[in-house]
Amino acid sequence: MEAMTHTGATTGEDDLIASEYLTFTLGNEEYAIDILKVQEIRGYEPPTLIANAPPFIKGVINLRGIIVPIVDLRIKFNLGKIEYTPFTVVVILNVAGRVIGVVVDSVSDVISLTAAQIRPAPDFSGTFDTKYILGLASMDSRMMIVTDIERLMTSADMELIDNASA
Amino acid sequence: MAIDMSQFYQVFFEESAEHLAAMEALLLDLDIENPDTEQLNAIFRAAHSIKGSAGTFGFTDLADTTHILENLLDRIRKQELELRADMVDAFLESGDVLRDMLEAHQGRGAVDPAVVEAICARLRQLSADEAVVAAEVPVVPSGEATPAVNVASTRVFDIQFVPTEASAKGDGVVNLLEDLRAFGQLDILSQPDDAPHGVGFWQLRLTTAGVDSDFTDQIDFVADNGAWRVSEDKSAATADEFGFFADAPGAPDEEQAYGFFEPLTERPLGEIAATVDTASDDGYGFFEPLPAVTPAQVTEPTALLDDGDGYGFFAPLPVAGGDPLVPPVLDEGEGYGFFVPLPAQLPETVVESSEPAPLALAQVPTAVASLAREPARAGRSAASAAAASDSSIRVSIEKVDQLINLVGELVITQAMLLQTSTQMQESAPERLLNGLAQLERNTRDLQESVMSIRMMPISFVFSRFPRVVRDLSNKLGKQVELKTSGETTELDKSLIERIADPLTHLIRNSLDHGIELPEKRIAAGKNPVGTITLKAYHQGGNIVIEVGDDGAGLPRQKILAKARERGLQVSDQMTDSEVFNLIFEAGFSTAEQVTDVSGRGVGMDVVRRNIQAMGGRVEIESMFGVGTRMTVRLPLTLAILDGMSVAVGDQTYILPLSYVVESLQPEVDDIKTLSNQARVIQVRGEYLPVVVLHEVFNLKSGWTDLTQGIMVVLDADGAKAALFVDALLGQHQVVIKSLEANYRRVNGISGATIMGDGHVALILDVSAIAGMAKSNMQKAG
Repeated sequence: MEAMTHTGATTGEDDLIASEYLTFTLGNEEYAIDILKVQEIRGYEPPTLIANAPPFIKGVINLRGIIVPIVDLRIKFNLGKIEYTPFTVVVILNVAGRVIGVVVDSVSDVISLTAAQIRPAPDFSGTFDTKYILGLASMDSRMMIVTDIERLMTSADMELIDNASA
Repeated sequence: MAIDMSQFYQVFFEESAEHLAAMEALLLDLDIENPDTEQLNAIFRAAHSIKGSAGTFGFTDLADTTHILENLLDRIRKQELELRADMVDAFLESGDVLRDMLEAHQGRGAVDPAVVEAICARLRQLSADEAVVAAEVPVVPSGEATPAVNVASTRVFDIQFVPTEASAKGDGVVNLLEDLRAFGQLDILSQPDDAPHGVGFWQLRLTTAGVDSDFTDQIDFVADNGAWRVSEDKSAATADEFGFFADAPGAPDEEQAYGFFEPLTERPLGEIAATVDTASDDGYGFFEPLPAVTPAQVTEPTALLDDGDGYGFFAPLPVAGGDPLVPPVLDEGEGYGFFVPLPAQLPETVVESSEPAPLALAQVPTAVASLAREPARAGRSAASAAAASDSSIRVSIEKVDQLINLVGELVITQAMLLQTSTQMQESAPERLLNGLAQLERNTRDLQESVMSIRMMPISFVFSRFPRVVRDLSNKLGKQVELKTSGETTELDKSLIERIADPLTHLIRNSLDHGIELPEKRIAAGKNPVGTITLKAYHQGGNIVIEVGDDGAGLPRQKILAKARERGLQVSDQMTDSEVFNLIFEAGFSTAEQVTDVSGRGVGMDVVRRNIQAMGGRVEIESMFGVGTRMTVRLPLTLAILDGMSVAVGDQTYILPLSYVVESLQPEVDDIKTLSNQARVIQVRGEYLPVVVLHEVFNLKSGWTDLTQGIMVVLDADGAKAALFVDALLGQHQVVIKSLEANYRRVNGISGATIMGDGHVALILDVSAIAGMAKSNMQKAG
């Protein structure tokens, strides 16, 4: 599936096979991530602080006996208002054999995208490095940033893993 | 369709490894002069099983080697060959080769074919040349009038001890000497100058009719564990013996041992009297009626014994029926006879150690021999028999861990429910509360039993040491006896795996540095055979493992000199324990020369580091010339920790209780600063560096003034520090969870746990925090 989405520019039989993506919003932007990486979605609860951790790492929570770190992507990408309400959502991801929680503004829906629908993103620099973007997809008038969430979460930028790859 | 055998390989490897381990244990346990048939059979069976399954799985090299081994074993077992020490050596070595082969088949290492060939050739050689020797086995003619034996009449024990200060100052030693005199003749071979109230080395010799267990308790009371030993002087005892008995419980080897009694078993009962008559005439008669013998049969020989004027040993058994038997025997008080009825002890031992034999009388020598020479043996064989019949199942460790995790969840959920119900207070129906109380009990029981699955007896580690000691003592030319106790003490499997290396190191160290060469030992008035004691027991929430030796002890002056040489900060005023702890410094060795066993100075520091990594501690006690004892203290499990919860701001942290010395509310005057940066606090005349947790962790504390909070004094491996927290909350047993599984290492944090309310609390890494204190001080200084 990875291979398929990477070859989004070319056309072929693979382009007709659709994969499902979970979309969520951060501020005004809408992101899509591979739904198979998502373990569950739950409400926000105040985590236990981790000393001297970067501000976007909110701390750790107890997820049925597993200690799970919580990352607030809004802080990381400087998007939206940072507030925690009963409606704040945590997406629990299962990436690279680890369980990580991600705070987002809201979860929109689950969509099907074929490789053909995912367009390569223009090269731009900024906090959000393009190497984590698989492409851009449009549906109706919405533009969704299709993100390689596994690569993002295991990157050194996120400071979640010792000896993380660059 | 062919069955894929490879899926069973793992089972085969595990089983074969177990068989090899069992074989090794049995070989080491084997009494070479008098091998127990049952043990030989067990060794044979182990080899046979390996051969069988190796053949099935197509590991022909394994099967071939085992086949040769098995052939030799078979001949010994059938008594075609006599067992010799070099055979046991060869067996042990072939066991090693087989183990290497197993490893090689699992893809670890390789086996040198030359080694395999060499061991096979050696086994064949042993099998061949033994045929000659076998013909020469001395056979005691059955009719020979070897007098019956009076083995147990007197035994000579060498007793060595160093009394504790308290007992020496008091009347402990005086009382002990009196007690011992009551048991028999007591000679004082050496005593401290200021006896009987001085702390020093006592050496006694006790000639008694009793067994050592009668008086060891008294000695234990006076002297510290490990600071005393009792050994039987077999040579002195044999001087009083006539004839000989072999101790082969359950394996009557008539030719060798029971020649005299043999006629009995074949004659009609009527003739017994006559035979016993001869015995008593000879003066050293020994007769012991067994429960199987009816009173009628017993009376006759008893009467004859009454007339005998000798040194007969008569121990009537209460079960033997006619109780009037006892007094007449006791009346016969002449000479140096041994007429002690042992009403309680004897019957037990006899019943346990004797195996069913065709004739009741044939049991007599067996029972007596084992009783007299090695009373403990019966108990031991009974214990091993019990172990063999234990049934077990093989479960992968992941399944067990999963179970433990799930139960951990259950415990947390239960605690949450309980908390909710207490918040509801009166509005909660009573039935709900009762149910919750019941649930609490059940979950606690469930957790305990689930945790016990991971617990394994420490014998898994101990069992490898007889071999280590045997090989090493041969290599070093020392005579060493290894004594183990508390093998059934249980601890967590992960700890078992990790404690093996440090313990091996400590034992090698004791053997190499502790125990002296036999000549030196004799010159020092010690038994030429040194003793290494390995002991495990529970104490509080810890497991304690002691490695003791009765060797030379640690040379304080030499260690100090060496430390100075290496530029360490030492002084003559240091206490013994401080001096001894120097040997744990990296690169420290007082050995004059480097052997391949030890002396390179790597090792003891690794031992200490490994043990500390397990959350344990190691202590040394030593007395020059008397011995050394290393005590290792470990937590029972790595999964649970005794913790103290402390509050900083709105966060809760757990401090491992084992590091906490005390906690106090500081006064303004107690806190001083160094160069206006680092703070120190005066606690009982000692200045300790202060670590302010909310500053270190960048948290908001409820207090701005240090005098409002609490200082917790921590002792991390000798480095003390005071940790400032807002408040102490309580004490808990917490289940340790890894923070690194989903996150990364955090400085100052060793793990996480889940509190009763479902929240996560982080466990503080005390060593790292003490380190922070140190670096603060260095910055300031």
